Amino acid sequence: MTQNLLEVQGLKTEFKRGDGSITAVAGVDFVIKKGEVLGLVGESGCGKSVTSLSIMRLLKDTPGRISGGSVRFEGTDLTKVTDKEMRQIRGNEMAMIFQEPMTSLNPVLKIGLQLMEPIMLHLGYGRKKAREHAIHMLRLVGIPRAEDLVDEYPHQLSGGMRQRVMIAMAMSCHPKLLIADEPTTALDVTIQAQILDLMKHLKEEQDMGMLLITHDLGVVAELCDRVVVMYAGRVVEEASVDELFARPQHPYTKGLIQSVPKLRQNVRRLDSIKGNVPDLSQMPAGCKFAPRCDYVTERCLSQEPELLPIEGLERKSRCWLTQQENTEGGERL
Amino acid sequence: MKETPLIEVKSLKKFFSVKKGFFGTTRYLHAVDGISFAIRKGETFSLVGESGCGKSTTGRLVTRLLEPNDGEVWFKGQNISHISDNQMRPIRKDIQMVFQDPYASLNPRMKVKDLVAEPLLIHTKLSSKERDKLACELLETVGLNSIHAERYAFEFSGGQRQRIGIARALSVRPSLIVADEPVSALDVSIQSQVLNLLQDLQEEYGLTYLFISHDLSVVEHISDRIGVMYLGSLVETADKDTLYDRPMHPYTQALLSSVPVPDPTLKKERIILKGDLPSPVDPPSGCRFHTRCPSCMEICKQHVPIFREVEPGHEVACHLFDEEMLKLER
Repeated sequence: MTQNLLEVQGLKTEFKRGDGSITAVAGVDFVIKKGEVLGLVGESGCGKSVTSLSIMRLLKDTPGRISGGSVRFEGTDLTKVTDKEMRQIRGNEMAMIFQEPMTSLNPVLKIGLQLMEPIMLHLGYGRKKAREHAIHMLRLVGIPRAEDLVDEYPHQLSGGMRQRVMIAMAMSCHPKLLIADEPTTALDVTIQAQILDLMKHLKEEQDMGMLLITHDLGVVAELCDRVVVMYAGRVVEEASVDELFARPQHPYTKGLIQSVPKLRQNVRRLDSIKGNVPDLSQMPAGCKFAPRCDYVTERCLSQEPELLPIEGLERKSRCWLTQQENTEGGERL
Repeated sequence: MKETPLIEVKSLKKFFSVKKGFFGTTRYLHAVDGISFAIRKGETFSLVGESGCGKSTTGRLVTRLLEPNDGEVWFKGQNISHISDNQMRPIRKDIQMVFQDPYASLNPRMKVKDLVAEPLLIHTKLSSKERDKLACELLETVGLNSIHAERYAFEFSGGQRQRIGIARALSVRPSLIVADEPVSALDVSIQSQVLNLLQDLQEEYGLTYLFISHDLSVVEHISDRIGVMYLGSLVETADKDTLYDRPMHPYTQALLSSVPVPDPTLKKERIILKGDLPSPVDPPSGCRFHTRCPSCMEICKQHVPIFREVEPGHEVACHLFDEEMLKLER
């Protein structure tokens, strides 16, 4: 029996705006098992990054706050622990890589110092030992001349190298869970291939769970075991990676997969999803995807479906269509 | 008899000077280093490559937003590489541009109708009423509602803004549109809408596109012919099918194999290139790609490969396909 590393239940995050508030994440559920890579996919504004920030409790200096639900990491509810306790977990047992390797490193500190900070803090190493460990980590992520590099500044490195440094930093305390928010989006394809290859190796060697947040379905297919698709702050579909690409159930997932131009596919026109992502402050009633959906029924416009398991399958979907037995009376528009 | 291409670029070069320190010597960044290609009327030609390879600079040279240091740009049989701004102005009407960032390329203080009609104000003698009417028609053409004409750019989403940018480029009925990463800032579902729109407009108005992108899947979808750039030079040009089915240059092969495929059942052999892109200020000797090339030979470190036709319509700059050089190597 594999244990659940992270259980997110009904997570809700709100942001203050003016007198009211808008809900960026509206009840998200998923689990990550030990050593599993879970992909979190969706378009911009769907709440995938806010979900990751909520899990890491990094919303403190923003107008945002977690307003409901729980995040259980190895049984501990992270929404309940104190800031001090959270600091023991963050960077130690859970670590994060951000999208922008240019802005997530401190430009006035040497690479080595930045790498040594979490090592000294969490592993309790002295300076000398921490420096050795930092060099070891840099070698592990495939950085040549690591001994020299610890004394250089971030601006002396290329984008791909900086992202390797970020990965080395995140991995330095052997986290059980790594959250990677668009780790390769800012990189060129040949560099992206290097980084994806590296992450695959590290994951296998360290047997670490990973939450990979991306909008790139190619990266998902490459790296993930299971996928959660988000739309408008909600999970709309969850499935294993093979199942998701072979038989997408939710109309949004279908549309998303079909909109991506694929190499050597040779189609004249691309399928696209009509319309735009709804504004968070003006969410439609009923199913949030209904205004853009090709299969919309009367029922979709008034009642929001729940995320339910599809019978006989190891997967879930938030759509009236996949919950056939419930759809009586739903006239197709 | 070959028809004259709409636009032809002959060994174009552009250097930017970079100075190191106050008393330091001026060095040159070879942004574009001797590239040649031609685009026929009605064709979509794409330049693809990684950041810093000079594809955007090429776009700016073609539109004469930059003046080349060497080489020529011929547009409709006229050499436009060094003509004055006054002479260039009527030609600008014929060459329009769509930019990458739909947030930065639209003036936030102008109404959409004025944004779209601005080229008309410059290039035509239409009255303001006629311009407004045309702007509304253009908005409808690109799939927006003409009631949007009175709004400001911030009221639109990224995809809609890119449509406004396209309407603006279209307003003066150009024959060539240079589109520099027009969809890379957009979400996938919106990206496909804009790509479809570009294709529809091409059919309707007989447009010629120079499409600049780093995304190989997008490029394959939209292009007729493709040129692959690396560090300021073209390494391979071919029509779409040839390039994707039989890429010859080792860089093209590596680039194509690096694209993550949205299909988990497909496990493909990946060529992983070592290292990073070298600096264009201090490019490697010989073949620019030799520092990362998996099939690098001795000769590649000394001699710059010539960009030559290896089969009809397929040009490659690589010593692997040069018999004489291979003999020399042996």
